[in-house]
Amino acid sequence: MLIIKDLHASVGDKPILKGINLEVKAGEVHAIMGPNGSGKSTLSNVLAGRENATVTSGSVLYQDRDLLALDVEERAREGVFLAFQYPVEIPGVGNVYLLKAALNAQRKHRGLPELDAMDFLALVKDKMKLMEMNETMLYRSVNEGFSGGEKKRNEILQMAVLEPRLAILDETDSGLDIDALKIVANGVNSLRAPDRSMIMVTHYQRLLDYIKPDYVHVLAEGRIVRSGGPELAHELEKHGYAWIGDEPAGAEVKHGS
Amino acid sequence: MSAVIQHYQSEFERAEPLLPWRDAKGWQAWRQSAWSRFAEQGFPSTRHEEWKYTSVAALEKLLLSCAPATPAPLDWASLKDKAVLPEARGRLVFVDGVFQPTLSRVDGLPAGLRMGALSGRSTQDSLKLQGLLEQGQRRTPFTALNAAFVAEGAWVAAEAGVRMEEPLLVLYVATEGQRAMHLANAYEAAEGSAFSVVEQYLGMTDEPYLVNGVTSATLDEGAKISHIKIQQEGARSYHIAALQAVQKRSSQFNSHSFALSGALGRNDIEAILAEPDAAVSMRGLYRVSRRELQDFHTTIRHDSPDCTSDECFKGVLNESGRAVFNGKIRVAPDAQHTLSQQSNHNLLLSDQAEVDTKPQLEIFADDVKCSHGATVGQLDEEQWFYLRSRGLAAEHARALLIEAFALDILTGIDLPVLRDALESLLRKTAHV
Repeated sequence: MLIIKDLHASVGDKPILKGINLEVKAGEVHAIMGPNGSGKSTLSNVLAGRENATVTSGSVLYQDRDLLALDVEERAREGVFLAFQYPVEIPGVGNVYLLKAALNAQRKHRGLPELDAMDFLALVKDKMKLMEMNETMLYRSVNEGFSGGEKKRNEILQMAVLEPRLAILDETDSGLDIDALKIVANGVNSLRAPDRSMIMVTHYQRLLDYIKPDYVHVLAEGRIVRSGGPELAHELEKHGYAWIGDEPAGAEVKHGS
Repeated sequence: MSAVIQHYQSEFERAEPLLPWRDAKGWQAWRQSAWSRFAEQGFPSTRHEEWKYTSVAALEKLLLSCAPATPAPLDWASLKDKAVLPEARGRLVFVDGVFQPTLSRVDGLPAGLRMGALSGRSTQDSLKLQGLLEQGQRRTPFTALNAAFVAEGAWVAAEAGVRMEEPLLVLYVATEGQRAMHLANAYEAAEGSAFSVVEQYLGMTDEPYLVNGVTSATLDEGAKISHIKIQQEGARSYHIAALQAVQKRSSQFNSHSFALSGALGRNDIEAILAEPDAAVSMRGLYRVSRRELQDFHTTIRHDSPDCTSDECFKGVLNESGRAVFNGKIRVAPDAQHTLSQQSNHNLLLSDQAEVDTKPQLEIFADDVKCSHGATVGQLDEEQWFYLRSRGLAAEHARALLIEAFALDILTGIDLPVLRDALESLLRKTAHV
């Protein structure tokens, strides 16, 4: 699904990613954890195509294609989805309008007929039940005046409608209370599928209690310094990121206090 | 005497015998004195503070014809698709400044609400009109020129307590170039009455012409007028207009302006809150591209206590388009408990576009709440990225954001039929 090789990227003149290697196979859920400033968000942005980060070297293969050569919108239509850490408010653009335009852009790209209003609405309402969202939110402007929890639920609703092949969840748990977190996690879990991969970028282990990853990677100073199974997240929770230091991946794990 | 004044002097001599109400006492003298006021000043130059950013030098050179026109007949079918409210129950159509009774309809109006062409008003009414226009006419060289030549326009009058929700349509169509149209509109709402009127200006020629309009709105106690003005003028047109609303106690004046096309547009809009508890909402959208210029000079006079004003103008500027916004708020010494809000937001879509925005607050009372703010910016990159990250094409996302910015100005237009009509008009005419 996704192969990242020796990826280097800068924001402005500052190198942020300093050689990321990662392979995500179809159906796998990977968690990328790391302290603030480790490059987690930059990695999400590079994958989604945000222009503020510049790739200086390395490659990203997505379904055997050069992901970095695709425009933002092409990536989306090819099935890459970024759930934003801070979903953007867009006054004047209706939530339902965006959902429909997004889905139909994708369908058109794939040579499928566009959905008419009736079929589309039936589909969306079905997905909204899953996210325990009130239908009135469809007719509000995108994220405008939404609470933190509503915004995150709206992101997962979009994901449920667009059914991506690769979903990148950027700090999806931030700003959520426990009830909202459960709803969001439930939504994400229901979208797990053999042909769908997910990358969860998170600072805290909390989200991983609800969405069990297959692999956990620790990012520090622009490199993956540890990789392991879900138990790695628990180690981190117990010992904090200081415990990782900036030792290279594969170094012996020391147990400090 | 300059060649320009000489031209308009001979136009005045030629046109004056053909103008309406000539037999009514006072009109000839009134026109003559207006003409003299114009002749003394001539067209304003950019040395004039109020015209600093808006040059009418090119207009001055045109030496336009001012005599009443004899336009070729148009049928309603050719206008219907362009009219913003083709189904309006009350509708007045003017072609090149001349009233077209066969294209108009006023038979479906409720009792106590009348509308018609100014030229059809009685002598007695025409004198009242003179009174109505008097105050506004003194303001600029253009209003003086208007008073000298004014021949036609629309009037709407609602008797006490008569309320009509459905909007009326006044449609001005320009088909012939090299012509100046001097129009006046008079809207009167008696105590407790209410109506909405949409004034739409359609340019159907690419030749240069001038629309020079003066509009007066008078609102008695508890009355409400919603005035929606739409400029879809021709590519080389000049549209210059002055609107003045005088508001009595607890009245509500809603003004919405949409300057969508035309080489040069200048609107002076003034609301006078003459008695307590009156409220005005003044909103507008200007869209400029190519080398178009739209200029809004607004004045809100809080002359009485406990009045409210809410003003918001938005601009979308493309290519080498230019805009001017000057928002004056004057709060008189005894206008305590004034609530006043003003904002002007501009979206600059090109490096060549330019906007000059200036709030002008003159506050002489101490117990007031007045706020103002202006912004000039570009499209929000975060919003643009967000839409594209969902699969929307870059151009589609851009158009959507521009539209969202612009459509926000429809806030306050609650009547669905009108809101839908304006929304589809704004989408249809969007420069992308």
